[in-house]
Amino acid sequence: MNAAIRLPVERAYASELQALARGDDRQKPAGWSLSPQAVLTYLLGGKAGDGTPITPKYVGRRRLMETAVATLATDRALLLLGVPGTAKSWVSEHLAAAIMGDSTLIVQCTAGTDENQIRYGWNYAQLLAKGPSQEALVPTPLYRAMQTGKLCRLEELTRMGSDVQDTLITVLSEKMMPIPELNTSIYAQRGFNIIATANNRDKGVNELSSALKRRFNVVVLPLPEDMAEEVAIVSKRVDEMAGGLDLPVPKNVGEEIARVLTIFRELRSGATADGKVTLKTPSGSLSTAEAIATMVGGLSQATWFDSGKLGAEGLAASLVGAIVKDPVQDKVVLEEYLETVLKKRPDYAGYYAALNAAI
Amino acid sequence: MGDVAYFGIRHHGPGSADSLVQALQDLQPVAVLIEGPTDASALLPMLARPEMQPPVALLCYPEEDPASTSFWPFAEFSPEYQAVLWAVDNKAALRFIDLPSSARFAAPVTDGADMTEPKDETSEDDEKAPHRRDPIGTLARAAGYEDGESWWSDMIEQNPQPGPIFAAISDAMTTLRDGEVSIAQFEAQREAHMRLEIAAARKEFDGPIAVVCGAWHVPALQAAHTQKSDQTLIKGIARRKNTTTWAPWTGPRLALGYGYGAGVVAPGWCKHLWRTRGRRDAATLWLAMIAAVLREKGHLISTASLIEAERLARTLAAIRERPKPGFEELRDAAIAALFNGEALLWALVEAELLLGADVGEIPPDTPLAPLIEDLQRNQKTARLKPEALERELSVDLRSDSGLFRSTLLHRLSVLGVHWGKLTDSGRSRGTFRERWTLAWEPEYSVRLVENLIYGPTIEKAANGRLIQMIEAAGGLDTLAALVQSAITASLSEASTAGLAALEARAARSSECLEILASVPPLADIIRYGEARKTETNRLSGLMERLIVEGAIALPYAARDLDEQAAATLVGAMRKADEAIRLVEPGDDVLDGWRNGLAAMLEGSRSTALLAGCAAQLLYEAGRLSAEDAAGLLERRLSPGTPVSEAAGFFEGFFSTAGQRLIYDEGLRGAVDAWLKSLDEDAFIAHLPLLRRVFSNLDSMERRRLIEAVLGRAARLPAGLMPAPDGGEAWRRHLERLGPLLKSET
Repeated sequence: MNAAIRLPVERAYASELQALARGDDRQKPAGWSLSPQAVLTYLLGGKAGDGTPITPKYVGRRRLMETAVATLATDRALLLLGVPGTAKSWVSEHLAAAIMGDSTLIVQCTAGTDENQIRYGWNYAQLLAKGPSQEALVPTPLYRAMQTGKLCRLEELTRMGSDVQDTLITVLSEKMMPIPELNTSIYAQRGFNIIATANNRDKGVNELSSALKRRFNVVVLPLPEDMAEEVAIVSKRVDEMAGGLDLPVPKNVGEEIARVLTIFRELRSGATADGKVTLKTPSGSLSTAEAIATMVGGLSQATWFDSGKLGAEGLAASLVGAIVKDPVQDKVVLEEYLETVLKKRPDYAGYYAALNAAI
Repeated sequence: MGDVAYFGIRHHGPGSADSLVQALQDLQPVAVLIEGPTDASALLPMLARPEMQPPVALLCYPEEDPASTSFWPFAEFSPEYQAVLWAVDNKAALRFIDLPSSARFAAPVTDGADMTEPKDETSEDDEKAPHRRDPIGTLARAAGYEDGESWWSDMIEQNPQPGPIFAAISDAMTTLRDGEVSIAQFEAQREAHMRLEIAAARKEFDGPIAVVCGAWHVPALQAAHTQKSDQTLIKGIARRKNTTTWAPWTGPRLALGYGYGAGVVAPGWCKHLWRTRGRRDAATLWLAMIAAVLREKGHLISTASLIEAERLARTLAAIRERPKPGFEELRDAAIAALFNGEALLWALVEAELLLGADVGEIPPDTPLAPLIEDLQRNQKTARLKPEALERELSVDLRSDSGLFRSTLLHRLSVLGVHWGKLTDSGRSRGTFRERWTLAWEPEYSVRLVENLIYGPTIEKAANGRLIQMIEAAGGLDTLAALVQSAITASLSEASTAGLAALEARAARSSECLEILASVPPLADIIRYGEARKTETNRLSGLMERLIVEGAIALPYAARDLDEQAAATLVGAMRKADEAIRLVEPGDDVLDGWRNGLAAMLEGSRSTALLAGCAAQLLYEAGRLSAEDAAGLLERRLSPGTPVSEAAGFFEGFFSTAGQRLIYDEGLRGAVDAWLKSLDEDAFIAHLPLLRRVFSNLDSMERRRLIEAVLGRAARLPAGLMPAPDGGEAWRRHLERLGPLLKSET
């Protein structure tokens, strides 16, 4: 019995991957363990050659996944872009697992990531003892992926500094990494590629230089298109998180989720659900993840302060927090939304009053 | 007896056009029969004339009713057009074989509500069964293609012989139509008519005959029917005399579902396919075209990115197991490699690339232009003759004939035909009378013909043209003006479109000035709308929304403005306030507006000039009592306030309300106290401002103000003589100010 909280997906879904590999007689790009078509089946769900059912890993547009897989098959790097909570890392992990059977060569990029964590570092004891030498060199996940012809995952690429980002340019265009200290370089083996994920709408990110951006094919993962789908995602996650935090879930949570998501979706899309009134959109992303956070915040408020009753009053503060990111512009947007839309909806009267009070 | 070969084509499909030309070349028919109205056969050879530049459309309409025109558009990639070119070049007989156009007008295919749209072949049951309208598109979708043309070209790739392609299409259609129980009466009549025409042609011509028709019809045309039963079927169809002619067409209109039913979704893509037929680099060229459009819009697209896009497209095609990249592959690859994944950016270039801006041309001697005919008919009804000499015309909008005349002239102006010019434009809207100067210029006829691309009647063309202008319009104020002209010309479609555009733009605009500037023209329409029969409900709703939006935006817009920006905003604000008071919106809206003014007045960062103006408007509206106003003035003009700000507030408040000072003791006291408190430098600095404020008063008012301040004596008291230590400047100022105050200038 393994006590790990979560296993890497190539082990969690090992049986599906094996079933797909058994029935896969199509042509595979060099270094791939599955053909592109089988990778698509693994991601989007279906049946393996021998009839084993494959669960869908990504629910959404098929052609986005086709573009992603095709990109990796051309030896060009893939950049998955999207607001938080759109399954970027999830897709990247599953892609690496399906293509290479290994999703663990991963670099978590942060503002503190430096070149040593991207290219290679040094073992200083060895360095002092022997001087620059192969033995003193500490390889990074990217280094190892190049050497072994595997996929390297870079999480949150835009969070690291632009100067560090740009060390990737040579790796991506010439598929080699010079090691000037040893007067040598390593050459990427066939199969090597990079999957990067990045936020396209966040504070504190470093815009990719166009030289680097040009070396990626970009796939933007969208927020759920369908209201029912999004309500289901939020309800599921709210239940799970409330369970983890020992918060009791009141009966009316379903209705409130629907209302909060309606407000989120209308503001996000810039039009009312019936399409009759166009609206301004606030500067924040209003992602599904934020809707979940708003609901959990409301639940916590209800449990600890409102004797278990979940309602507009408890949710208003978190709602305003999610919508008003820019104190001037977003406030106008919300005020306008309240006056022109919510005011006229009798079943949102509570939200109208509570939000007006909270602004 | 001739042998008949059937070519089931996809209407406007460049792929089938290419295959068709090759097949015709192989067959060398003596006659080419095309699906289209028989009564227009005589016009067909005109298509091949060099002056005829597609896209053009064949127009058929009953003489007395051009509004119910049918269109058959032809693009350079239409198989029908290519068949005509081939037939003329090769001296083959050329004929349309479908029912005459008059049968179409008689057939009850469209219901009354649809009368505004040109009738077309897409009757209701076509909507229910898209496979009948575009069977090849349906086959393509069944095979997982979004674009029928890519499917067609992949099919050709796998079967390079043109002959078998048409046989295969015919087989597929037979399967699709197999088990068809009954078809609509009109469809049955059309197919019967085509069968009869084909039979007649077989008797007439010796040699191979080519029949070019929509793929859907092929099995029905090949099926055996007795001539007798066919004749019974088409008995009684209307055979009135119809007018037929050519009209120039445009790329975007090709994309609409007119004419041959299969609206071309992407004329630009079809044109590209046609122009690059037989070339191996079509995909590369298409990507280069995308890059060109993007570069024009200021994006940096490198050649290396283009190479990557093409590589990705090829891999995508391989993953989708297609022989070569088609429309979808190229689009997806372009989004990922050129657009940085932004699908929105694709939407931006889509219109330009896919619709194209082609405008067709027709030979100058084309018979009859329906717009000119329509004008002549309207002139008769309006009892107005086109005369070159200027002539005055006064119309009374309350009478039907007056309204008709005015509407006609306004519509013609929209079309750029300024036969009548309003002599008192702008002032006239409030009254029931309009004064026009009429003068007809010969080039107006030419201009009317140019407007044919917008529609076949004056009303439709004016609608179409105005809608296009609305789509291109930028600001709210321009849009409001366009809606105004749509309503004065009673163009309901254009005004609906304009209102929708206004609503969309209003929602997006956060520019307070723009919102405020759009309020007065809308108020005008609402107030004087009764003179013309318009529904003002929707407009009032929009207007109320704009007022609320403007009010919300005001306090933010008023922050920290420089002098010029503040003056502009004050002007817009006053005009909007006046318009709002005249329209008399609901109390909550009026309250909303005043709340906005109040918030602006209280805002600590509001520019003083604007705050003063807001205070005055609130005071006039009774929201601010006399005591409050006096208190406010006292506070805003008190010594603690920087003098320039106090002056701004003063100007904002009094620039249009100087008279107030005569009657309102409280206000006057506050102003008096402020003026007295100013030190010399500040007072001198503000003299021009004071002059500006008081110069709005006429001499009588000035006299009364002086009386109010100084008592009945109305003379400068001795106490105001230059002080001995006042210096030279003070004396000079008083010399000028004295006469001014006594209104001697």
